[in-house]
Amino acid sequence: MIGTRTRTHQRERLAVGWLLAGLLLAACRSAADADRAAPRDPELAARGTIEVTARLVEIPEGAIFQRDLYNYATILKYEVVTVHRGELPGSTLYVAHYNPWLPRAAAADARVEGIGGNLRAFETGQVHRLALDAPLEDHFMGGVVNKYFGQDTGTLYWAVWTNLAEP
Amino acid sequence: MRTRKYQLALSLAFVSMLVGPGIIQFGLDRAAGRKSPLLDVMSGWPNAERLRRFEQRVTEDNWVVRRTRPWMQTAQWLLLRDLGENVVVGCDRWLFYRPSFDYVTRQADDRVPDAASAILDFRDQLATRGIALVVVPVPNKESVYPDQLTARAAAGSLCQSASTADLLRRLQDAGLDVVDLFALYARARREALPAAAPTLYLRQDSHWSPTGMRLAAEAVAERLLARGEVGAATTSYTTRRVTTLRPGDLVEMLRVEVIARQIGPEQVECEQVVERDDGAPYTDDPQAPVLVLGDSFLRIYQLDEPGGAGFVAHLALALQQPVMSLVNDGGASTLVRQELHRRPALLANKRVVVWEFAERDVRFGTEGWQSVPLPPQEGTADD
Repeated sequence: MIGTRTRTHQRERLAVGWLLAGLLLAACRSAADADRAAPRDPELAARGTIEVTARLVEIPEGAIFQRDLYNYATILKYEVVTVHRGELPGSTLYVAHYNPWLPRAAAADARVEGIGGNLRAFETGQVHRLALDAPLEDHFMGGVVNKYFGQDTGTLYWAVWTNLAEP
Repeated sequence: MRTRKYQLALSLAFVSMLVGPGIIQFGLDRAAGRKSPLLDVMSGWPNAERLRRFEQRVTEDNWVVRRTRPWMQTAQWLLLRDLGENVVVGCDRWLFYRPSFDYVTRQADDRVPDAASAILDFRDQLATRGIALVVVPVPNKESVYPDQLTARAAAGSLCQSASTADLLRRLQDAGLDVVDLFALYARARREALPAAAPTLYLRQDSHWSPTGMRLAAEAVAERLLARGEVGAATTSYTTRRVTTLRPGDLVEMLRVEVIARQIGPEQVECEQVVERDDGAPYTDDPQAPVLVLGDSFLRIYQLDEPGGAGFVAHLALALQQPVMSLVNDGGASTLVRQELHRRPALLANKRVVVWEFAERDVRFGTEGWQSVPLPPQEGTADD
């Protein structure tokens, strides 16, 4: 009787182990398929008037958090690494990202269409390849959370497409 | 033997619920070459940014959570008539926004931003340019319809928070012109009772109905005409009736399509403002003497469907002349004045600014109530 129960328990544990391993494998394969490195994104060249690679310098306290009823853009500060298209007056950029708590691929909505990118979450120090428009006022009318208000930010840019820069 | 199987299955289900989403996400992150949020948060001192990012990724960016949450929310709504932490379900399926509900029902703590100082500072800055200020706090839906939340409130009674009462008293004591929509709406409800009059707010939305909006626009127009800053009519407007279907913002906020379909949109009868001569839809005039600043209460029916039927158009209708507007969703406390700072041309030729803000913003306004300088005057040396 005891031997039968032990064997039953062994079989149960084995089945559970296989089940978990199978789930993990399926999840990994699904993610790998979805996130397989894509060729250079043509959206970057097709959108906005400026294309730039820039490093995200900081995310000010309280600048990015989940909104519920309303949608805002948030100004983030960048240091320019390379300008690919268009002209910039300096090496520091202040860029408005719409609903930055969302992955870029999910940020567009009925009011703000045509934005996107492959960036999933903003992190200080990341290098982004951005397609931009300027000035912000001509491209977005709505709430802008600007922790740099009152500082000499110059022109504010509107992020149309935001990709994590390829190494 | 059977009991033990049940115990084992139950324990396994429980443990899977606890650790399963984490394990799966760990596998997904590894497969995609991303750093796991757990490893990320442990890779250095747990500062605010790192912890915030960890929390966001665990709660919002988790594959399992994202796929199961809509179904859980749907079940919660269908079985328990509960729409989650940000929506309060009142009587007759009236929906209320939780922060507004909290604003009215909870005592303010000491961290209430000083709205009065920011408003009076704005008034004083405008006065140096010869521009008057009229403020229009829009009552929370909960303040006007407490009877849809509790049987203890009489129909037509008003529930005003101490923070609002204090703000209105301070503004009036300082001689600021405030259009009191609280008294207006309470009177409108009392006079309409017990007849089934149109409601002043939408059922599934945090905003006013066309009736509530029109009452407000007429009251503001009356005040502006009485003040004398607005001249005689320059345009002849009329209205045409339009019916639109509006999915409530409180339902859309949930981002669950099944619930949105189940509740369905609300049918709204609007009056679109058009020019009497040619039927052209109302448009703002940048040279108008009136500038209206505000939040989504200005957007609804005006920029949203059906268009040209919101507060701004109805203010123009009541004045029989166009006005200019600056709409900043959820940003009437500070963001709209920062936007005005970036758009100096909006103040050209202005004689009066009408500043609309939602009552709940007194305590919860995005970015608080900062003192914001006016934009440099166009044509001056500091341009």
